[in-house]
Amino acid sequence: MDDRASLDFGKVVINAVAGLLVLSYALPYVYLVSTSLKPAADVQQIPPSFFPNRVSFENFGTVIATAGLPEAFLNSTIVAILTTLLSLLIAVPAAYVSVLYRRRITILFLLFALVTRMVPAVSLGVPLFQIMKMLGLLDTTVGLVLAHTSTAVPLALLLMAAFFEGVPKELEEAARIDGCTRFGAFIRIVLPLMPSGLAITALFSFIASWNEFLFALLLTSQKAKTAPILIAEFNSVYGLAWGPMTAAAVLYSLPVILVTLVLQKQIIGGLTFGAVKG
Amino acid sequence: MTEHRFVLLMLLPAALFLSLLVAYPVALLAYNSFFDVKLIDPASRIWVGLANYADALTSKRLLESAIRTLNYSAFALFFELVFGFGAALLFAAIANQSHLHRTVFALPLMISPIVAGLLWRFLLVGNIGILNHGLAALGIIPNPGAIKWLSDTDIVIYSVAVADIWLTTSFVALVSYAGLTNIPKDLFEAARIDGANAAERLWHVTLPMMRPVIAVIVIVRGIDALKTFDLIWIQTQGGPRQASEVLSMNIYQRMVRYGDLGQASATATLFLVFMMILAGLAYWKIWRPSHG
Repeated sequence: MDDRASLDFGKVVINAVAGLLVLSYALPYVYLVSTSLKPAADVQQIPPSFFPNRVSFENFGTVIATAGLPEAFLNSTIVAILTTLLSLLIAVPAAYVSVLYRRRITILFLLFALVTRMVPAVSLGVPLFQIMKMLGLLDTTVGLVLAHTSTAVPLALLLMAAFFEGVPKELEEAARIDGCTRFGAFIRIVLPLMPSGLAITALFSFIASWNEFLFALLLTSQKAKTAPILIAEFNSVYGLAWGPMTAAAVLYSLPVILVTLVLQKQIIGGLTFGAVKG
Repeated sequence: MTEHRFVLLMLLPAALFLSLLVAYPVALLAYNSFFDVKLIDPASRIWVGLANYADALTSKRLLESAIRTLNYSAFALFFELVFGFGAALLFAAIANQSHLHRTVFALPLMISPIVAGLLWRFLLVGNIGILNHGLAALGIIPNPGAIKWLSDTDIVIYSVAVADIWLTTSFVALVSYAGLTNIPKDLFEAARIDGANAAERLWHVTLPMMRPVIAVIVIVRGIDALKTFDLIWIQTQGGPRQASEVLSMNIYQRMVRYGDLGQASATATLFLVFMMILAGLAYWKIWRPSHG
């Protein structure tokens, strides 16, 4: 009986520690949201209070009225959507043949994609600036989409390759016997079987672009500026306007958190693929 | 269409795209590194051979930022592993009751480093930073101004790493947890029957079985940490007095603030080569044996 009691006690302790751990892990973000909901004047209060004395949307009002902010969020959305479409269009066919038609050239190709994932963004950003300038694509949506796609394509390739691993080669062969062309088998038979793989790859590409900072900092200045750049400017120009800044950070991150909440199992799966493959 | 032609055709768009937007820029980077060339006028350039490299390799500021980058990465990686792996062990201990815990831990997974940096700057900033007020209220520090997290040049590089640790512990915890649940249960049973206590089971069963997972985490996270830019930029912009300037930021400053495309390219090329060697080593030494 003693043993049983100590076992239960151990369980209680472990549960309490785990609970505390999770609580303290969530606390910083909860504080960000709670601050964004304070009246602007209360944000600078010393000592700070954890929860708002009174809930106010004043900071959100300020942020939305800030010059350039709605445009920056719109730019972020457009760039992320175009990056996602372009990288899927480019990466999915390549991933398909890399897995279902494996041969030396496709293995080399996947290795190349893996290597490009190691290139530091700044090493790519420096020459990309020069190239975009030459092409007249500085501070344009197209220029930023191309830059984002250069990192999204290897990511999408490796993710989709992992998903195609689950497709039996016999399926493609059967479709061919039934009269499909190779391309027809790919488009009409195999792709419709993997809506979730495509969706997760699209989601990862979208968020990679949505979160990207360095390329946007180098390649945009006014018109094509994205949300994180504007938030960073907020940070340096209005260094003390913490109220609106926390509101902007919440607007920028909350959609991502909600998506993660809904799709956490698939996202962890995708991250593990990413971790194992690159 | 022949099979071979089909394969080439399907690869073509990706190959073309990666050649134009990754391989060509990298070649251009290497090319620029041999010239005295300014950002405002890249067309006029003077061949200087290895002078940019000589400058880079003898630059005290660059050396300091390289060492700082290594310190930062080692510090962040160490705590991410300790906290992440610790959390994963806890979750595994309460296995079927840990669903909510893991959900909360998953939430920061996809958050931008910009948000993590901004958030922690807000927690650590002078005057209104709630962390110091909390520590002072608990009597751990004498007053809320006692630790100047982001303006003390001796500690700032570690202070900015806290945001990284917070953001990435979730990734380490969840990947480790997935690894832990894949260890066959009978291994633990066998160890238990042999009389191994919990600590011995951790040391002799869990850790060896987790070696490949930990290796992957170290490689992936280590490479990310070495490349860090935005998370630190939003907290300090590399300051005060370059005390939190990491390698990516040093290259960015050479290019944007000083407009020196040649120097920036040489430094970025060195960085790239270093990362490739590191990745290659990691692949051969750690990753491959666990797969073969």
